[in-house]
Amino acid sequence: MLEIKNLHVKITQEDKPILKGIDLTIAEGEVHAIMGPNGSGKSTLAHVLAGRDDYEVTEGDILWNGESILEMAPDERAAAGVFLAFQYPMEIPGVAGLTFLRTALNALRRKRGQEELTTPEFMKRVKEKSAALNIDVEMLKRPVNVGFSGGEKKRSEILQMALLEPTLCVLDETDSGLDIDALRIVSDGVNALRSPDRAMLVITHYQRLLNHIVPDKVHVLAQGKIQRSGGKELALELEQSGYAEFGEKAA
Amino acid sequence: MSVAVMKTKAELSFAESFDRVQDRLPGSPAVKQVRRSAANKFAELGLPHRRIEEWKYTDLRSAVKDALPVRVGDATQMTIADVIVALGPLAKLETHRVVFVNGRYRKELSSPDQLAGLEFEDLSSVLSSGNENAAGLASLTGRDDDAVLSLNTAYMTDGAVVRIQASSDLMKPLLIAHVRAGAEPGFTAVRNVIDVGAKASAQIIEAFVSLPGAAKEGQANAATQITVGDEAKVVHVKCAADTGDGITHLSNWMIRLGRETDYAGFQLTQGVSLARNQIFVAFDGEDTKLDLSGVFLGRARDHIDTTLVVDHAVPSCESRELFKGVLDDQSRGVFQGKIIVQQIAQKTDGKQMSQGLLLSPDAEFDSKPELEIFADDVACGHGATCTELDKDLMFYCESRGIPSDIARGLLIESFIGEAVEKIDDEPIAEAVMEFARGWLEKT
Repeated sequence: MLEIKNLHVKITQEDKPILKGIDLTIAEGEVHAIMGPNGSGKSTLAHVLAGRDDYEVTEGDILWNGESILEMAPDERAAAGVFLAFQYPMEIPGVAGLTFLRTALNALRRKRGQEELTTPEFMKRVKEKSAALNIDVEMLKRPVNVGFSGGEKKRSEILQMALLEPTLCVLDETDSGLDIDALRIVSDGVNALRSPDRAMLVITHYQRLLNHIVPDKVHVLAQGKIQRSGGKELALELEQSGYAEFGEKAA
Repeated sequence: MSVAVMKTKAELSFAESFDRVQDRLPGSPAVKQVRRSAANKFAELGLPHRRIEEWKYTDLRSAVKDALPVRVGDATQMTIADVIVALGPLAKLETHRVVFVNGRYRKELSSPDQLAGLEFEDLSSVLSSGNENAAGLASLTGRDDDAVLSLNTAYMTDGAVVRIQASSDLMKPLLIAHVRAGAEPGFTAVRNVIDVGAKASAQIIEAFVSLPGAAKEGQANAATQITVGDEAKVVHVKCAADTGDGITHLSNWMIRLGRETDYAGFQLTQGVSLARNQIFVAFDGEDTKLDLSGVFLGRARDHIDTTLVVDHAVPSCESRELFKGVLDDQSRGVFQGKIIVQQIAQKTDGKQMSQGLLLSPDAEFDSKPELEIFADDVACGHGATCTELDKDLMFYCESRGIPSDIARGLLIESFIGEAVEKIDDEPIAEAVMEFARGWLEKT
């Protein structure tokens, strides 16, 4: 279970607060969506969960399965089950996709007290998961994300998520830059990972994604605070009314 | 105007040693004469210093405090097992191997398979033979005003003299191993002279390595002359991968390329406190491809300089340079790349890139591309970058569970990998990468 308690966050080098007291609880098996206007702090929340050191938590706490993760390094959080699907996945020239995936998976397995995978075992998993996401394994022999289209990068993120088997999935604007077909493939990939022992936080600007990944709860984040929470119908309502009532201009 | 400058301790010592050791250096009377005039030249020039433009970033006069005892003969005990240890990753390669210990050829440790196509002699024997070629060695590229090369000519004890016959294929690389060993620090001057015949295909590796337990300090002055015949294909790799603390490595590559040759040279420099790698390339024939690349790794107060001059003196040749440095602590990397395109050298295609990756705020990379273009129908470009490890990439890797030290290694490897991949031979490239990994693991 993820418990965010009165979370206050600022950028490390600056004084301006970005998150001003977030309270949010997500139980295993639940999918929560966070919606909100640009600049409301959605991406900041995602990166703080993953442990980015550009941000400083000034107050409050984040508990994952009852334990604070604030002092944990990003790789330790990953070992504890946290995964962030990036809005803009990084390109890593010179590092083959398969090398990257294998290094990450085996590092996680070691930390989780599991055996490292042999090459055939690893390849079998990669082939299985890639096929489901319509990714050609040949593509993974190329450097990570280099020369990939926007859609390919997002599918590659979901492939990483599927392979690394996190228990808390944070998806940061995974729908941005996707056409309808790519959106469906990515959403199917995410839905396939929905399970009773996995919590998900889906961050999006548009209601469109939530037609495909149907959330249990929707929260509106604006001006650094959760302004409203509700069921999936809240997303539809926002699509009609916009974010004006939360004191922000339309993006 | 000439200004009389006080000679430094090292300069005096290098000059005075010559009188003491010259009778014990190998060579016919003609060679002794060449040595004498080189020694005189050095005495006149002294060590290069920062007021000489080409040496602005690497002031040998202040960096070389003293001359280590000049090595003339050597009788260090060594076994083939020792050589294998010293060669590290290179020992795994199938090669024709010739071994020099502290600057002297060791036949019993070598296996230069006298197969068709490859002729090998040790320079010491050649110099003593009275062969005219020997006396002409020093003037091959007309670099008479180079103090470092003069020092080499004066003191060279040995090296590989190699002839690869026309149209032959070596099948496996020739490994010229220069091993530093023994508890006594010394100054070693070696010279390799390589002649690749027309249409031949050869891979040549020069290694400058040390045996565990060797003196921490050492000074090496290495010169390599390579002449590549028409339509020959050459992969030429130098690994200066020492493990000492206080190693000076001064090297000169003098390359002449014939018509339609395909020459790829690569230099790895690591474990060296002070390095100056000079590369001079002259094109003798048209439609030739030159590819120079290198990786240099510095830490502590290491200073590693690569200075190259590529002279396009004929039309329609291509040149590529890619040099990458990883610099930690207070180390400093220098790259100077001069590309001359003479008026006659139309249709020249030249591209140069140098990149420094700084791992510490106190590290420094100085890059100076110099293009002198006198022809008007050419495609030439250059670039230089100096960066830190990308924080965003580090976070991306770590967020996938990769611990920061492994992520760092992965990103550094990917940075230098682009240059190492230029070596058009997978086992050699892998051996070079393994040297680099060994160095990185100690970061």
